[in-house]
Amino acid sequence: MSTAAHTGKQHSAHIHRSASDRWAKIIAYLIVGLFGLMCLYPLLLTVTVSLTPEDVIAKDGYRLIPSRWTLDTYTYIFAHSGARILKSYLVTIIVTVVGTLGSMLVTCMISYAISLRELKYRNVIAFICNFTSIFSAGLIPWYVVCVNWYGLRNNILALMLPSLFSVWYMFLMRTYFKAISPSLYDAAKIDGAGHMTIFFRIALPLSITALLTVGLMYALNYWNDWWHALMFIDNRDLYPLQYYLYSIMSNVNAVSSGRVPSGAAANIRLPAETVKMAVTIITIGPIIFLYPFIQRYFVKGIMMGAVKE
Amino acid sequence: MQKSIRTVNRGFAWEMKHNRTLYLMCIPALLLLLAFAYLPMGGMYMAFTNYNVVDGIFGSPYVGTENFTYFLKGNPYFWNAVRNTLIINIWGLIIGTIVPITIAIAMNEVRNGLFKKVSQSAMFFPYFLSWVVIGAILYGFLTANFRVDRKTGELIITGANGVANRVLMALGSDPVRWYAEPKYWKAIVIFLDVWKWAGYNSIIYMAAMAGFDGSLYEAATIDGASRFQQIRYLTIPMLKPNVVVLTLMSIGRIFYGDMGMIWGLVGQNATLLDAVSVIDTYVYTSMRTMGFGFSTAIGLCQSVMGLILIILANSAAKKINDGEGLF
Repeated sequence: MSTAAHTGKQHSAHIHRSASDRWAKIIAYLIVGLFGLMCLYPLLLTVTVSLTPEDVIAKDGYRLIPSRWTLDTYTYIFAHSGARILKSYLVTIIVTVVGTLGSMLVTCMISYAISLRELKYRNVIAFICNFTSIFSAGLIPWYVVCVNWYGLRNNILALMLPSLFSVWYMFLMRTYFKAISPSLYDAAKIDGAGHMTIFFRIALPLSITALLTVGLMYALNYWNDWWHALMFIDNRDLYPLQYYLYSIMSNVNAVSSGRVPSGAAANIRLPAETVKMAVTIITIGPIIFLYPFIQRYFVKGIMMGAVKE
Repeated sequence: MQKSIRTVNRGFAWEMKHNRTLYLMCIPALLLLLAFAYLPMGGMYMAFTNYNVVDGIFGSPYVGTENFTYFLKGNPYFWNAVRNTLIINIWGLIIGTIVPITIAIAMNEVRNGLFKKVSQSAMFFPYFLSWVVIGAILYGFLTANFRVDRKTGELIITGANGVANRVLMALGSDPVRWYAEPKYWKAIVIFLDVWKWAGYNSIIYMAAMAGFDGSLYEAATIDGASRFQQIRYLTIPMLKPNVVVLTLMSIGRIFYGDMGMIWGLVGQNATLLDAVSVIDTYVYTSMRTMGFGFSTAIGLCQSVMGLILIILANSAAKKINDGEGLF
């Protein structure tokens, strides 16, 4: 009698639990799905708006699936401001490629050096690096030094030099180098190899994933940077892509605030809605195309950085 | 005994000579830090001067602490910026902790591989976008083109309206001129900050959860704990150390605003800027209106406060995490 009651109770507890677990699963799928949509929808909307005719936008507003599709916006952009955009593209590409290569060389060398236990002052060097991330001079002294002493105003180097070395990525890279077994280095040393040889022939080839991870992180920063252009660049020929988009959007913002007198507002020719979205897509195009291939490296890098050395 | 194990202390000169190549490899990075981090620190002297370009940093007239008293004593724009910075950062910290943890826990329950992969890719994507691009995408949601007829009070659509206004109108409400209404923008900025970083931060929490002992969960299942109970009594308590470290790091940076975010979203829109101007954007705008000395003084206060807070946060982290600090 009591055993039967017992099993019955257990049975109902089991049913109860599996029902609650099913709810847990449904809620989990809902949270993940909804947040995923919240991140995907704006992007899809931007893509489809750039492919919608202007008159349809004016009539229906922004819609995920427009009543008509067109490529006119893109042909219009390249016919009217194609040279400007291509120039900006070129600036962005130069900055991204040259900047990333420079960053990697500088970053890898120092992180290799201070990953070695035999370097007596490695902690002093690490502290010199770390201190800059907890205390900074602030925007104005940095700006004055860059402009007055280094002459970075309207200089393409202004888009690379100030962000060439990131302390955060240096520590990430050091974590990777530390994982290489010192016995490999010792064997090379016995064969008479110097540190430069060990660095280029052993440490770097063994860290291909790490190099890709940190390199892509640097490259993304250069590609997305518009802030240094805001600070240093007035010459339109040196506008990177992101800053070109910024200059379009800030005109739009200023007019929509209603503060610009209507006479002046009439003089500022606003780009059509579809043009703004198309320029946005042109700006992030390479990221969208490369995203499936590069995503995992970023995930790896973030996980690596999250786990403390 | 101990002494013989210790490496022989050979002195600075010997070390420099012996490891010359390695130190040379550090030089480019250290030079960059010198040029862009340490030399500007000398420029902080500008805070005590009435800086002008002709006389330069060290030639401009010395004014003592005049710049400091000027903004600390009742400069409403400065105190508004401090208030905004704290409001945006504190809400960003609270919501920006809860949302990624919720996502990470939910993601852990999802078993369907394709669904998991696609949704994770979607969530991580905003991290790859600059604030300018996010500002442009936001425009597609908030753009407003309508006017109200003066005589009849009738609503006339004059052009494209963004998603937000279309939803409002579909629900029978009046559309809103988002870019002329400052009151919504603190919430918009906080929301987008959480949105941009949620995927990124959930990866950090998922990395932590991947390291949890699976046998604890098995034992809990055998003991009859439901998934909700396992999350409540196992996952969340075990995530606590990560939350504490990340929270302390954010507290260390509580007086720093994200100028890129504010400028990318709001930019030159003076109507909205009052509502979301943070200390960093105020430094930038006051550079032109109030002079370089004045804005350097604000930056100096911010840096010193930041340093104090991060040292406090670090010692707190050491106390909580058995001697392991933030850096």
